[in-house]
Amino acid sequence: MILDKRPSRLLRLLSWLVFKIPGRPAAKMAEFSHTEAGSALDMIAATELTSRADLRAKFFRHALDEHKHARLFAERAIALSGDDVRVRAMVEDSTFIVSRGIRSKVALHEQLSDVEFFAFIWVHELIGARQFDIYSALMQNDETSTAMFREIGRDERFHIAYSRAELDRMIAGGRAREVRKAIFLTRFRRVRNAVLRGSRRFGELMSGIWLTIAYFGILGPFALISRATERNAEGFVVFTGAPAARNAESQG
Amino acid sequence: MTYILGISALYHDSAAALVHDGTVVAASSEERFSRIKHDASLPVLAARWCIAQAGLAPQDLDYVVYYEKPLRKFERLMLNHVRQFPRGVASFRRSMKVWLTEKLWVRDNLANALGVPASKILFSDHHLSHAASAFYCSPFEEAAVLTVDGVGEHATTGLFRGSRAGLERLAEIHFPHSIGLIYSVFTSFLGFQVNDGEYKVMGMAAYGQPRYKDKVERILRIRSDGSFDVDTSYVAYHYSAEESYNRRFVELFGEPRKPGAPFDPADPRARNYADIAASVQAVTEDCVVSLARELRRRTGLDDLCMAGGVALNGVANYQVLRRGGFRRLFVHPAAGDAGGAVGAALWAWHEVLGGARSPALVSPGLGQSWSDGQTSQLLRDLHLRHTPLEGDAMIDRAAEDVADGKIIGWFQGGFEWGPRALGHRSILADARQHGMNARINAKVKFREPFRPFAPSVLAGAEQRYFSLPDGADLTCPWMLLVAPVTDCGHDRLPATTHVDGSARVHIVSRDASPVYARLLERFGEASGDPVLLNTSFNLKGEPIVASPLDALATFEKTDLDVLYLGSFRIENFASRRNVHA
Repeated sequence: MILDKRPSRLLRLLSWLVFKIPGRPAAKMAEFSHTEAGSALDMIAATELTSRADLRAKFFRHALDEHKHARLFAERAIALSGDDVRVRAMVEDSTFIVSRGIRSKVALHEQLSDVEFFAFIWVHELIGARQFDIYSALMQNDETSTAMFREIGRDERFHIAYSRAELDRMIAGGRAREVRKAIFLTRFRRVRNAVLRGSRRFGELMSGIWLTIAYFGILGPFALISRATERNAEGFVVFTGAPAARNAESQG
Repeated sequence: MTYILGISALYHDSAAALVHDGTVVAASSEERFSRIKHDASLPVLAARWCIAQAGLAPQDLDYVVYYEKPLRKFERLMLNHVRQFPRGVASFRRSMKVWLTEKLWVRDNLANALGVPASKILFSDHHLSHAASAFYCSPFEEAAVLTVDGVGEHATTGLFRGSRAGLERLAEIHFPHSIGLIYSVFTSFLGFQVNDGEYKVMGMAAYGQPRYKDKVERILRIRSDGSFDVDTSYVAYHYSAEESYNRRFVELFGEPRKPGAPFDPADPRARNYADIAASVQAVTEDCVVSLARELRRRTGLDDLCMAGGVALNGVANYQVLRRGGFRRLFVHPAAGDAGGAVGAALWAWHEVLGGARSPALVSPGLGQSWSDGQTSQLLRDLHLRHTPLEGDAMIDRAAEDVADGKIIGWFQGGFEWGPRALGHRSILADARQHGMNARINAKVKFREPFRPFAPSVLAGAEQRYFSLPDGADLTCPWMLLVAPVTDCGHDRLPATTHVDGSARVHIVSRDASPVYARLLERFGEASGDPVLLNTSFNLKGEPIVASPLDALATFEKTDLDVLYLGSFRIENFASRRNVHA
């Protein structure tokens, strides 16, 4: 029951299509690397924040596992990328987990109640395990990658087991309804976040179009008018503005 | 009782600093808390910690000072887009998305994030913040101040005179003429990440000869008045969102180095890249020295303060001391943008409020600390076997471990302000052992083998190992000066002597870091050399550890032999963990 691994056909088909795109497996590994790194940070924060001594060690081990997964995925992404410097840049981009919304400043443990937190771990680890099973099957000719997925799978079984055990304890303690609601909410938020990510990308596309129009339509005429007179100052420029202390409240 | 919170953010390395009646009482980069290297977002976590550290609530702050003028910066950006039309369309799209959604609303965003009224938020000026960070943290009553970085609002370089009357701005050099940006162009060309890999260029330069200096001087030209300009026909940073150099640059220097490519000094192609690194380093040094000489001529003062990202270049700092004409040099420990947080707050205290002169900065440990009680509880909860060691017993044992050839993690007191590990969050080893640097690189740091490790030396013993120029005593405590190693140093310290016979010297005094100084003293008594190899306690690509938990996680991920966490010694981590699912 715990390891309920039945990946849907749609997920299998989508993954197969994604992995057919040249360079995509490496980029996917780079993305996973950041996702796991983000999870590691969240689990470290949980280790620090939890008031339950018995959970600290488990959260810490979980964090170390996620750190290890991040490193494994990063190494594999670089190995698979060949000459594609974009994948390496993606792996080394320390801002990726913020710019892609993988992690916010407020730690997950602070955002969620205890039941929601364990529901989050359980649902995401279960989905992750399913996904990695599919990828492992798709990469069966790549022994290093399949071995990596096997190792990660072993760790995930621990994460699934302990989070499920916590949820079971809560159910036994009369909180079954709360647990069901938290699992539903986690799944709902996952779908909602996917929709938001898609919307954000659409918004970025639209704003890009509008900014291009503004660039040529508004900036263009000014550029043409000013071109004859404007020059960059060279060498020392003697400062002529008012002392900054006099307009400390001004942003300009 | 006046409390001022300084903030630098939204470019790279955001930070917060709290100044109480002119004294810096807390300061931290955001990355130490968020664990995201070079975190550029509003430093909410660092600011909250600074406020809590002083036992305050946000409403107790008298002012919050942002380190630059966003509207003036926006003006420069728009003027540049007008000048570069139509080739800057991609850059325009990218920058406007950030500016229109975030950077233009700094006042409101800060007020909301920190819970302070918008009326309490003031704005300094980028280079003025850098200048204030250097001058008001220095021990000088009067000094020349030089700020050099990528770019602020318009300025990339600032010349100031600091005195009892405040900071007087003498001259500036404006964008796109920038030493910092040119150094970053070469950083990118040599296959490193901009705003992160500049140290690697400096490390690689030691393996080369400046054979291409004339070519670099075609791009970065020193003028007769001591200033410089950039021939922008070789670079792309002023119009491109993706590239910092263009085809003409590649025609001049050849194909760029592939990121992550191995560096073997015996390979002629690798040596060629090292020669390019050496060339840009040499021209950078000449430019900064030329600026310093001009500043000396204009002010007639003996002492110099420096800040801005270029002031982190320890090799150039050595040349400034040797050839710049000044008697003494002080460089702000967080010379890059993070330091703007301290500078902005100190500027407001001195120049807006007219406060009394700040004391000189002595201790680097302005960050968060943890008590032994907190650490002990954590170790117990994590089921980690540990040995409590009190006072001298801990120092003695650590000195023994290092002498035995062990690589130790060293976590003591508040974490350091600035990008350097200065004996509060450090990895330490015996600098006398041949091959120790290679061992640390392979087992612990996993970083490029051409990057050197720094030596920490007990104050008073430095002249035995290093040829320090006069006036270096204020720069070396912050590890911001690279100096030649003496014959004795060369013999005694093989693990910290770079290939060109230099070292990034860190002088440790009892006033600045008492526990670390005691360790050096003890190690010196036992071995005859009060020197340790000191590198930052982090892994490649990660911020330096902040909390005991960060330290334990890093300890687990590496082959460090021992960890000293406050008064606790933890050994052979993996075998001592006992976690049951």
